[in-house]
Amino acid sequence: MTHSNAKINRLTPTNEDTLGPYYPISLCDNDSMDMTEIRRGIILEPRGEKIVIEGCIKDINGNLANGCLLEFWQANADGVYRTPLTETHPKLDPWFNGYARHRTKDGNFSLKTIRPGVNTDLDHPRAPNITLTIFSDGIMRVVTQLFFDGDPANENDPLLLSIDKNLRERLLMKPAGETDNGLKIYKIDIIMAGDNETPFFDDLLS
Amino acid sequence: MTRYGRQIEIGPTDNTSNERTPRNRLHIIPEEARASFAPYAPYNYGINPGEADMTRLAPGRPRAEGDPIKVIGKITDEFGRPIKNSLIEIWNANKYGRYTHIEDHSGLALDPNFLGIGRTLTDQNGHYEFWTIRPGAYLARPDINRWRPKHIHMSIRGGSSRLITQMYFKGDPHNDSDPMRILMGDNFDKNIGIEFETPDEDFNCGYKFDIVIGGRNPTFFEDI
Repeated sequence: MTHSNAKINRLTPTNEDTLGPYYPISLCDNDSMDMTEIRRGIILEPRGEKIVIEGCIKDINGNLANGCLLEFWQANADGVYRTPLTETHPKLDPWFNGYARHRTKDGNFSLKTIRPGVNTDLDHPRAPNITLTIFSDGIMRVVTQLFFDGDPANENDPLLLSIDKNLRERLLMKPAGETDNGLKIYKIDIIMAGDNETPFFDDLLS
Repeated sequence: MTRYGRQIEIGPTDNTSNERTPRNRLHIIPEEARASFAPYAPYNYGINPGEADMTRLAPGRPRAEGDPIKVIGKITDEFGRPIKNSLIEIWNANKYGRYTHIEDHSGLALDPNFLGIGRTLTDQNGHYEFWTIRPGAYLARPDINRWRPKHIHMSIRGGSSRLITQMYFKGDPHNDSDPMRILMGDNFDKNIGIEFETPDEDFNCGYKFDIVIGGRNPTFFEDI
């Protein structure tokens, strides 16, 4: 379908609105920030290298943005996303959903996951990345994608190439040592507004 | 090379909006990367009996204070196709404008029979319904006497559909000064529940709030 033709008969979307400061914390009781464990207490694990992403959300003054609702989404170790269209994909990992959600009280987050791979079957392979959706008081939903500093696939990633070179740096997660049990740690600060503002993307108009 | 999308605006008189609203325009996502921007949430939730009736803590418990209301509607994508089996999370303040949230320090009255948190699912036709107490408005900015009008928060999540919005009430005197309402402009009407009578039911009245989820987020809904 072409965007221009399709638009004629489209309904006007309901306005997105702010999360507000009082999103019920208990609604996240069944959520997890460990993508390597598809359900609690399961011994089977996804393919790929386990890693930890540590990050924070900051406002225009450099203060931590408290009370944000964060949603993470990524492909498996072979670069395949789990959707209804890929349930029978030969490279689907049955032990990996690639989705995590977290309400951060103070603006910090820590995500345990596997390093996503590159799906070389695609005409335009994506560099390994993690999609981040942020809901917060004062703003509507914003989305971006986070990449791994130094990954050779970054050079040809269509999303990174679509933004100015100086902005690409702001989407890179940097190596920052290891956990006690030897998992590589990557760090990133998300700057919601102002100097060094993180680039965000428009998934409504795109 | 760079293509730009929307400029998100800052909600007037909203400090948090000023602190957190990106100052740069959003970037358009190139075609090859679009599919990766439609997260698909796995189903890890189950709804307990009574969760859609927020007027009581549990079936058989006393009614909360205030006007019990019913909210119904249909959730579709931009083409009018129903969003099925979608999780709706609902939260709203009590009759006095107070949330049960531990970070609500307003000091307004709590109601021991009101939690203000509910969940429900859309059916095969995208329809939903829940019951709650008509929320109170509350003073959000005492320094400039700016209130938040009565509103009910709703989060819709299922498959790849994703929306957080609020239902407002027609004629609320605080609507016109609300920062998000101001940003919505004429399109604010989309976020007002349409009142209807419920003569044969044990509720003060009903509100119809149909929701259209925009963009590419509902891409996979048909396969749910």
